[in-house]
Amino acid sequence: MTQETARARQPVQQARRPGGTRTAAQQARLRQAARWVFLLPALAYVLFAFAIPVVYNLVLSFEQTSLATISHLTAPLAGLSNYTTTLRNPVAQSAIVRTFSFTLLSLLFQFLIGFALALLFNLKFPLRRFARSLILVPWLLPLLVTGVIFKFLFQLQAGAVNQILLDLHLIHQPVGFEVSPGWAYLTVLITNIWIGVPFFTVLLYSALQDVPVELVEAARIDGAGAWQRLTRVTLPIIRPVIEVVFVLGFVFTVKVFDVVIGLTNGGPANSTQLIATWAYNLSFQEFDYGAGAALNTVLLVIALVAAPLYIWLNRDSLSGGSA
Amino acid sequence: MKTATRRRVVSVAASLAALAALGVLLFPLYAVIVASFEQNSQLFGASHYSFWPPAFTLSNYRVVLAQQGSHVLSSLIVGLGTALLTLAVAVPAAHALARYRFRVTALLVGGLLIAQILPSIVIANTLFLVYHRLHLLNSYPGLIIADGSYAIPFGILVLRAFMLGLPKDVLNAARVDGATEWRAFTQIVLPMSRSAVITVALFAFLNGWGDFIFALTLLNGNTFEPVTLSIYTYIGEFSQNWGEAMALAVFAVLPAAVLLIAAQRYIAAGLTVGSVKG
Repeated sequence: MTQETARARQPVQQARRPGGTRTAAQQARLRQAARWVFLLPALAYVLFAFAIPVVYNLVLSFEQTSLATISHLTAPLAGLSNYTTTLRNPVAQSAIVRTFSFTLLSLLFQFLIGFALALLFNLKFPLRRFARSLILVPWLLPLLVTGVIFKFLFQLQAGAVNQILLDLHLIHQPVGFEVSPGWAYLTVLITNIWIGVPFFTVLLYSALQDVPVELVEAARIDGAGAWQRLTRVTLPIIRPVIEVVFVLGFVFTVKVFDVVIGLTNGGPANSTQLIATWAYNLSFQEFDYGAGAALNTVLLVIALVAAPLYIWLNRDSLSGGSA
Repeated sequence: MKTATRRRVVSVAASLAALAALGVLLFPLYAVIVASFEQNSQLFGASHYSFWPPAFTLSNYRVVLAQQGSHVLSSLIVGLGTALLTLAVAVPAAHALARYRFRVTALLVGGLLIAQILPSIVIANTLFLVYHRLHLLNSYPGLIIADGSYAIPFGILVLRAFMLGLPKDVLNAARVDGATEWRAFTQIVLPMSRSAVITVALFAFLNGWGDFIFALTLLNGNTFEPVTLSIYTYIGEFSQNWGEAMALAVFAVLPAAVLLIAAQRYIAAGLTVGSVKG
C-alpha cells in the first residue's frame, strides 16, 4: 500500500459521518495524538542513548579534553589533533589492522564451522533436537565470562588446552598462550569463533530447512553428486540468509570488546588490542576522552559501512503500518 | 535394503559427529564446573591440569555465597530493570509503528537498524561524560538506561515484525466498536503478542545480566557491582583466584542455562529473528 491510497482514504471516512463533524474532528485529533504518545518513549530513548552520544562523540573528537574538562560540557577546540596523534600511534594503527584481520578470520571460520554443523543437523538422527538446543549455550553466556573462562583454559601451567595437547602428544612443552603475542591473538580468535558458531549454525540451519526437498531430489535424479547439489542447488537458495548472517556477524565482530578484556586485557604488550579496547584505554585509562572519541569515530565509520547493506537487507520492514 | 542400511550408517555417523561437536563446544563449561569444586592450589601454578577434581571442596562456593551475594542481586536488578525498561519503551513503539502510518516510519525503522550497529564503546565514552554531569554514574537507573541500548532497538523491530502479522480485522472491529486506542492496545494487541513479548523480555534480561562494558565504564564499584564486573576484578586483584572466580562464573552462566531449559522456544525464536548481542 502506498501513501497515496492512505491519504485518499481519509476524506472518505470523514464523509461517512455527516453531522457531529466537530466531535469527529476532535476524535481524529485525539487519535493522532495517541499515536504519538505510543511512540514518545522510544523517540526520547533514541535521542538520549543513540543520537546524542553519536553527535557528542563527534564533538569530543575535535576537543582538547582532560580530567579537568569533564566537569564542563565543552572543552577547548583541538582541530584535527586528536585524529592525527591517535592515528599516528603505532598501537592504534596495529589495532585497526588487527580489527580487520580478526573480523575476517572470525567470520570465515564461524561460517565454515557453522555451515558444517547446520548440514549435520539437517540430517536425520536421534540426538539432533537435543544437540541443536545445547549448541546455543556459547551464544547466551555473558561475553566477559566467556573471556575469563578461556583465559583459564589457556593457562600456561595446569591449563586444560595445554594438557589436552600434551596428552595427544601434539606438543612436548606447554605453550605460553598468554605471554606470546601471536598465540594470544590466536586464543582471542578461537574464543570469538566459539561464541559465534551457534549463531551461524542456527540461522543457516533454519535456512536449510526451507530448501525444498524436491529440488535437491530432482538434482540427485539428474545425476548431480553431493558436492554439486550443495554448490549448485542449496547454496544459491540460501544465499540471502548467508548475506544476512555475514552482515550481522560483521556488525558484532568489529566492536568486540568484552572477550579481549576478559581474556588478555589487550596484552601482552598491546598485541591483542582491537579498536574498541584501545579506544577504551585512551578514554578510561589515560583519561584522554578526545583521543578516545577520535578512535571511536573511526570504529563508527567502519561499523557503519555495513549500514546501507543492513538496511537494504531489511528493506521490506521500512514500509508498512496498517492504518 | 541397501538404502535402509545406508540411512542407518548416516544416522549413527551423524550422531557421533554431533556428540563430538557438542563435546568441543561444551567442554569449557564442564571445565568451569569442575574448577569451581577445586582448591586454588590445584588450578593455578599446579604441575598439570586434572579433568576431574582430585579432592572435592565446597569452599569456593562458601566464599562466593558469603562475599558475592550482593553482586548477584545487583545483576538481577540490572537484568530485570533492563527487561522492564525495554518492554515499556519497545512494546508501545512497536505497536505504533505496526498499526499506524507515520510519515517518519521508514526513517525511524532505518534509524533503529543503525542504532543496532552502533558500537557500545562509542555510547559508553559519551554517556560517561553526560552521566557525570547528570549525576547518573554509579546508579541503577543510569546503568539500566545504558543497557537498554542493546535490547530496545532489537525489541522494537522484533515486536513490530510480529505485530504486522496480527490479523487486522480484530483491531478494526474493536475500533468500530468504539474502543480507545489504549484499550485496543492493552486488550487485543498485547495478549496476542505474548510470545514475542516474552522473547524480547528474555533477551533484554540476558543483555542486562551479561553487560560488562557499561558496568566497567559507568560504575566505579563503590556503590554496587554486577557479577561480570566482579569476576573481572577477581582475576585481576586477587592474583587469579581461579577456584572462586569459576564458582562465581557458574552463578554468572546460571540464568542462560535456566532459560535455555525453561524457555528454549523463545530463545530460539529470538535468535532466528536477528541480531541480539551488543
